[in-house]
Amino acid sequence: MADPPARPVKGRRSKVEGGSARAADRGLHATPPGPLGGSHARPDASAKVAGLTRYVGDLALPGMLHAALATSRVASARIRSLDTRAALAVPDVVAVLTAADVPGQNSIGAVFGDQPLLVTDRVRMVGDRLALVAARTPEAAWIAARAVRADLEAIPGVHDPVAALDEGSPTVHDGGNLFRTLRVVKGKIDSRRSKATVIVEAEYHVGGQDHAYLEPQGCLAIPEGRDRLTIVASCQCPFYIQHAVAKVLGLPLAAVRVEQAPTGGGFGGKEDYPSEPAACAALLAWHTGRPVRLLFHRELDLQVTTKRHAMVVRHRWGADAKGKLQFAEVETFMDAGAYAGLSTVVAERANVSCIGPYAVPAVDVKTHVVYTNNLFGGAYRGFGAPQVTWAAEATIDKLARELGLDPLEMRRRNALDGMARTLCTGQKLVGPVLAREVLESATRMADWDAFRASRPQGSDRLRYGMGISLVLYGCNLHWGGQQLDRSSAVVILQPDGSVIVRVGLTDMGQGNLTAAQTIAAQALGVAPAAVQVWQPDTTTVGDSGPTVASRGSQMSGMAILDAVARLRTRLDPVAAELLGCAAEEVELGGGFATVRGQADRRVTVATVAAEMASRRLECIATGWYRTTPREFDSETGQGDPYEFYAMACHVARVAVDPELGLVTVEEVSAAHDVGRTIHRQALEGQIQGGIVQAMGWGVTEALHLRDGVLVNPNFTDYIIPTAADAPNINIAVLESDGPGGPYGAKGIGEPAFIPTAAAIRNAVCDALGLEIDTLPLTPPTVVAALGDRHPLAWVLEKSR
Amino acid sequence: MAERVSVTFTLNGERRTFTVAAGRRLLDLLRDDAGLSGTKEGCGAGECGACTVLLDGRPVTSCLVLAASVEGRSVVTVEGLGGASGALHPFQRALVEKGGVQCGFCTPGVAVTGAAILAQGISEPGERARLLSGNLCRCTGYSKIFEALEAAREGSNG
Ligand code: FES
Ligand code: FES
Repeated sequence: MADPPARPVKGRRSKVEGGSARAADRGLHATPPGPLGGSHARPDASAKVAGLTRYVGDLALPGMLHAALATSRVASARIRSLDTRAALAVPDVVAVLTAADVPGQNSIGAVFGDQPLLVTDRVRMVGDRLALVAARTPEAAWIAARAVRADLEAIPGVHDPVAALDEGSPTVHDGGNLFRTLRVVKGKIDSRRSKATVIVEAEYHVGGQDHAYLEPQGCLAIPEGRDRLTIVASCQCPFYIQHAVAKVLGLPLAAVRVEQAPTGGGFGGKEDYPSEPAACAALLAWHTGRPVRLLFHRELDLQVTTKRHAMVVRHRWGADAKGKLQFAEVETFMDAGAYAGLSTVVAERANVSCIGPYAVPAVDVKTHVVYTNNLFGGAYRGFGAPQVTWAAEATIDKLARELGLDPLEMRRRNALDGMARTLCTGQKLVGPVLAREVLESATRMADWDAFRASRPQGSDRLRYGMGISLVLYGCNLHWGGQQLDRSSAVVILQPDGSVIVRVGLTDMGQGNLTAAQTIAAQALGVAPAAVQVWQPDTTTVGDSGPTVASRGSQMSGMAILDAVARLRTRLDPVAAELLGCAAEEVELGGGFATVRGQADRRVTVATVAAEMASRRLECIATGWYRTTPREFDSETGQGDPYEFYAMACHVARVAVDPELGLVTVEEVSAAHDVGRTIHRQALEGQIQGGIVQAMGWGVTEALHLRDGVLVNPNFTDYIIPTAADAPNINIAVLESDGPGGPYGAKGIGEPAFIPTAAAIRNAVCDALGLEIDTLPLTPPTVVAALGDRHPLAWVLEKSR
Repeated sequence: MAERVSVTFTLNGERRTFTVAAGRRLLDLLRDDAGLSGTKEGCGAGECGACTVLLDGRPVTSCLVLAASVEGRSVVTVEGLGGASGALHPFQRALVEKGGVQCGFCTPGVAVTGAAILAQGISEPGERARLLSGNLCRCTGYSKIFEALEAAREGSNG
């Protein structure tokens, strides 16, 4: 078991514990000195602070046209006719295209073929594309887009994922609204129910979320002659765009080159969605023969892009008198919206994550993917896990309250560990299981016991509470996505000793360039500054799948390590010759090739590179990595959905104003099982950013949908956290040797997000002494939950 | 077509004249006419702060400022924060050093607001947070931006 980490220093803003000293205590494998685990300046930072980074909106080409979209403003209708004449008559308009102009397949779905690029007969959600416009100015393009006349006949829609399953409900597609049901079935619920002394039943209503990346969607399509084209896009997944555009234009994959532009935030919103604007711009570029740039404005971006799935989660969970969980029944209704998109893939993660890191002998999970006429759900940081975690952690607290147990103690009694290491899917965890360690670490940083012993009373009307959330995160892609789970890297050693690295995974701000640079520098024994990692381009590296599921660093890193190993089959013999030793004795580190054990016998890596160049040796190497194949039964949800797992625990401290229903998150203490730190500062940045984004989801970010229309599509009414809302954040990083990626690292992007909102919910309920089962915890939700206990209930009562 | 007006002002220390449509936003003048694309558009509605520039030393959202209204005034963009030499402002350097940059799209606006906070000598954390609250950042959770502000202040004091 880990030594207790040092106590964090308290104070304003982040305090951080853990690090190399503790890593040594834990007996981690030694790595040679290098940048690994340090905090050298991110390679992209100095251009970004100077305003020199060129995002898509900063790129323009001679003759470039501007694109706009004519989209439906209603959610459900039959299209009687479309009239584009008025749009074409707008001055400076060059082209107005409809479905009839698609040369390839008019189909854009990421997994299934249920979504047209341009609709023809039926509108199924707000934002469905009726026509595309290209014009000489952006103003003309958007004016023309609004001038597209659609004769629509409204038909009843359905906007609730539970009601959508009722007999007689309007159907979104032929074949009914229930698109899929996924299961996890383990043990015998009936025999376990008799052992339970407390049973909690609940129905949780968990809202969606907009990604609110600061840079809206954007792309630039450039025809390259008549038979191929280049796309430059703000995106997470250039290979998705390559496939989508090739399909729509009817081109071979090799004729579509996609370059990732520096990307102003993604969080999943630039995984699947950017294929749609890219296909639109590509189609317009194809028809006009001119470069076409499509930039979303904020309102459109909020109104039509994918969202985190809203879910209704029903629970029946039971525990015995000692607090040991006996059974868990979960039925989840995921609002997929009007098209399947990635919903079944999101459902796969939600399905196997809904029990959390707890040992439960009998489990029965149903996860329904349901069509509605709402905005469609897509990838969003956490990928279905945050919603089901919010429900699970609420139920754990409810069980604890019924049993009179401290919520910390309740989790101690049920968390997986070195003895109980079997998940609800029957998978046996390999290596250190750090659920208890993260639980103890986070609660210690938060002063859990002291807080509960003497809860601040405050002379004011505020009430204070503290809540825990403990999660298990399956790293990388689910079994269902295994065919995508490979990665590519190219490493080119230059004659001056500098290094070019290309990987197939993207940096959308999370730090993949930094991680790839660190890993390449570590492996080649050079300074990070000697390594230049360039943004991915589908013509320079192999398809590496999407940059999602916290897999960027892991998959980039493993492919880089493979490339470096191959490069060294040529580098080491040359170094050995220069050093007068055997190739097996060559070590790289600190900018030098040395003879193992004899640090004074050394030449610079640059000297070796120059020698390789002068001998005309191959200085380029490719690397490839595949994850380990796994078995999983999708009927029963039994098997190994993920390769390995990371644990995380967040503890939130809140102050609630019961009169206004206003929740202030004062502090979040986060403990993470990271395997190995690659770049310390980037790791902390992911945790801090994840917590604040999740706080927004949990507290303020309500998507107000009326008949499928988002009625708050702006940052005044859709409220994301500001600097003034940011809580203090304490961080503990737990390193360990176990299954992981490069040097043992596990992903952090999603585990940083998943626990926070549940911890906040539990803290608010602790503060108020009631249960709230609706997310987000906006003032109206909190006031409604208080009911008769609202301080002004007597007034409200009288005024009724 | 739209009426065009001439506007002369100091841009990053240099006197410049532009002829623009009367309704043109300062943001568009900066990005498209002056070629200074460091200033970003995140919302076009005064909500996100990505377009923040200094107007006579005060941070403003340039998406809500008419270009014609800056006649005779001084505008500093992220490109000009470090002065004529093209060097980085201490706060820009601190953002790099402390990791206050992730996707970078909010960063130009954050850099401009932070520079104004430092120039005003505001050090009370709550006050700083309120001033920075006009600059939305979806990536960093703000922690490292605050660290960078503190580091730049200490750097300039020492
Ligand atoms: S673009 Fe001006 S405030 Fe957002
Ligand atoms: S760094 Fe991405 S929005 Fe601030």
